[in-house]
Amino acid sequence: MEATQKVEINVPRRKSEFQKFIKVLLARKVVVISLSILFLLVVVAIFAPWIAPYNPYTQNIANSLQPPSKEHILGTDQLGRDVLSRIIYGSRASLIVGFSSVALAGVIGSTLGLVAGYFGGILDSIIMRFMDALLAIPPIVLALSLGAALGGGLVGVVVALGVALIPTYARLMRGQVMAVREMDYIKAGEISGISNLRNILVHVMPNCISPIIVLATLNLGIAILAEAGLSFLGLGVNPPQAAWGSMVNDGYQYLSRLPGLSFAPGLCIVLVVMAFNIVGDALRDALDPKLRGSL
Amino acid sequence: MSHLLEVKNLKTYFKLNDQTVKAVDDVSYHVNEGEIVAIVGESGSGKSVTQYSGIKLIPQSAEIVSGEVIFEGSDLLKYKENSEEMRKVRGGKIGVIFQEPMTSLNPVLTVGEQIMESVMLHKQFSRKRAKERAVELLNMVGIPDAQERVNHFPYQFSGGMRQRIMIAMAMSCDPKLLIADEATTALDVTTQAQLLELLKDIVKRTNTSIILVTHNLGIVARYADRIYVMYAGRIVESGENKDIFIKPKHPYTIGLLNSVPRLDDPKDRKLIPIEGLPPDLANKPKTCSFLDRCPFKMEACEYSPAPQLVEVDKGHYVSCYADIKGNDWNLKFEEEFASASEQVIMKKEWKSKENNGVILEVQNLKTYFPFTKGIFNRKIADIKAVDDVSFKVYKGETLGLVGESGCGKTTVARSIIRMYEPTDGKIIFNGTDIAKMSKRNLKNIRKNMSLVFQDPSSSLDPRQKVFNIIGEPLIINKLVDSKKELHERVEELMRLVGLDPNLKDRVPHEFSGGQRQRIGIARALASNPSFIVCDEAISALDVSIQAQIINLLEELQEKLGLTYLFIAHDLSVVRHIADRVAVMYLGKIVEIGDWKSLYDNPKHPYTKALLDAVPIPDPLIEEQREHKVLKGEVPSLLSRPKGCVFSNRCPIATDECREMDPPLSVEENGHGVACIKV
Repeated sequence: MEATQKVEINVPRRKSEFQKFIKVLLARKVVVISLSILFLLVVVAIFAPWIAPYNPYTQNIANSLQPPSKEHILGTDQLGRDVLSRIIYGSRASLIVGFSSVALAGVIGSTLGLVAGYFGGILDSIIMRFMDALLAIPPIVLALSLGAALGGGLVGVVVALGVALIPTYARLMRGQVMAVREMDYIKAGEISGISNLRNILVHVMPNCISPIIVLATLNLGIAILAEAGLSFLGLGVNPPQAAWGSMVNDGYQYLSRLPGLSFAPGLCIVLVVMAFNIVGDALRDALDPKLRGSL
Repeated sequence: MSHLLEVKNLKTYFKLNDQTVKAVDDVSYHVNEGEIVAIVGESGSGKSVTQYSGIKLIPQSAEIVSGEVIFEGSDLLKYKENSEEMRKVRGGKIGVIFQEPMTSLNPVLTVGEQIMESVMLHKQFSRKRAKERAVELLNMVGIPDAQERVNHFPYQFSGGMRQRIMIAMAMSCDPKLLIADEATTALDVTTQAQLLELLKDIVKRTNTSIILVTHNLGIVARYADRIYVMYAGRIVESGENKDIFIKPKHPYTIGLLNSVPRLDDPKDRKLIPIEGLPPDLANKPKTCSFLDRCPFKMEACEYSPAPQLVEVDKGHYVSCYADIKGNDWNLKFEEEFASASEQVIMKKEWKSKENNGVILEVQNLKTYFPFTKGIFNRKIADIKAVDDVSFKVYKGETLGLVGESGCGKTTVARSIIRMYEPTDGKIIFNGTDIAKMSKRNLKNIRKNMSLVFQDPSSSLDPRQKVFNIIGEPLIINKLVDSKKELHERVEELMRLVGLDPNLKDRVPHEFSGGQRQRIGIARALASNPSFIVCDEAISALDVSIQAQIINLLEELQEKLGLTYLFIAHDLSVVRHIADRVAVMYLGKIVEIGDWKSLYDNPKHPYTKALLDAVPIPDPLIEEQREHKVLKGEVPSLLSRPKGCVFSNRCPIATDECREMDPPLSVEENGHGVACIKV
């Protein structure tokens, strides 16, 4: 049996998946810029106490509503607090709300979707009807009422946004799982007697996760925007804590005199949300093995 | 005489990343009026791109670098992609029939509208006249009740019917040239034969020329006048039909012919695969592109530039440096090949394995699927995918299960391994009935049976390393005690199927199609099963790769004493590999027997029709064969004919057949037929 020992050497050239992924991801300049913005945001949020020139909570009524100057680069607000320092501290609230609410929604939503899609039947019907009910309530109304019920504050915002986002993840995951379940490689596992748990963890989940990652990235922007909206409506973080949304709200009254008070935090929101959206789009392309192959 | 179509030095390149893929690299050919020309090649050989370059139907990333495509005296490449002139040619003077009949018709327009569209555009017919023309065309391509059917939507037609409609559309403006791009590949053999006979008939009647783009050598032998063989973007050999098949000169052509099983092969012929893989078209060597796989390469080939086509006989061109003018070239090839690859050309003499004892017995197996309707999923009927099927499989043999798509052969296989729940009947495996066994007890049985899937790319988890894929059955069934043992076993399995164990950390898409199928086979072998179901295991592969896998399966069988249930639609392959064969039609076995008595002496009219429809890659034999074409199509499982399921298409059916469902009557030698007329 010589022939079986003969080995085929002509395997296509090796290039690691990760290298290809990075190459596609960083193919466009705008993505690199967005990633840098997000990186900067994280650094600023973590090292806020060292970066901020002033304590964001120190009030100085005598020095209130100052236009930008050498001491206060972005001026001071109505209580005389340094606007730049408050923006720097405000990035923490944005990031915490963004990541925690998306993590909450992502974990719960995709788990529900996974269970519904994998096991199907009555379980699927129950979970998905529940999700439909949740989906029927406008998310901002849901967040408002939940926020009000939980008494505002960071936790309230996170839970409110998290719950509002759950159905999208469940729907997406369920669809993915149902498509992947029909693939022959899942059947191959079933034939050799694989357990449900192993099947889900080893085969189903890794093949369903990419769109979830993309959605999560896009939702980070949405969550930050929604947090700003809720803060603007007075349901966000509790004062005197700094958050971009509430800062826009506070500066709103002085828009004609000191537009910077609202514009500076507003610009931060716009930049970060845009950056997340662009990165999300780029991730979608980079995570798709088919698109990746063509580049 | 000037040619209808003459392509000169065509080069079409694809730009991908920073690489240039030379898909069509200096190709010249011509087509005369009323001629059927075949372009033969495996996937990736550039045969389709060559055709689409001329009518500028190529993807955006492709660029026609140079060349001329002269059609009726004018160079098509001079026309802009969407210019008036080009549109007149496309659809008007050159018609195209695409491969996939399911996606090439617009589902929201009636077929009549779609045919009328091009008639009205190219011939300026009024709507009324266009409709008449559409009906006339549908009649021509053999669609019954054309007057009525012209108003139907594509989904109301079967695959074969849709392909007929595609032909009608392509013929609608009396084109001079038809390009049939793998037009019959997706269809069943009997439908394929119907359509090709239709095309041939059209050529005769209208003096249209046809370019048949295909990988199926049998079709080519039966229908083509002249043949061009393409490999890696170039034409390596061209000539009259008989030149190519009887006196092939290029090592690739010879290799291709040797690697295909034929219906008239001696049973003990071993297939001679073309070892290796086609070259990467982006980094094509400057030398002959077949060099790596050529058993005849000489020293000169290693450093000489790629050979040009040279006329070796009248009208027979070959691009090869070897001394190929001699007439004993073929014989020499086989001898040298055999010694070069240290392979024996002959298999062991065939022996029946009925004395080995039964490993699997299927008794009255029925697998029904519910057909539901409405929002409450009310069951209104059973789809009887498998209806009362019984057979035995003996230890160490290969039972071939053949039939056209929808006949239930895959359902039988999947019921046996309990991927589908059988509705009724017994599946006795090694003495135990597993048809109703619980999932937990089944686990012990499943170690002993496994499945090789059809499509190697969808049956391997794209995110798992080869090591994990092959090792999974070992881990699940706790067949190894330690990490070390697992590694050793996986490496052993990889060597067994001809894969380099050093590649175990790679993911499936880093492998070629044939190699992926090897991974699938290694996984199937992992738990040391005695019984393996091969579900169309080779039909997704290129012909030269098919031979490699068939040989591998045969070697493994001999080495490990495996029993195969080999499911396929390709009757030549089944004849080559199977000891016994069962023919299925509409969920029933209509004929079963050992390969010799079944192929030499088919009894059921359906088996006869199937065998008639399979073309043999030898024009001399094809000339003598009578081309009987089976009429009609496989009916839907929901409207099964009364009595014998084949009665509505059977040439010898009588009223009696339409009343009584014939039982499978088995003769002494095990040859069984379900027909009351024999």
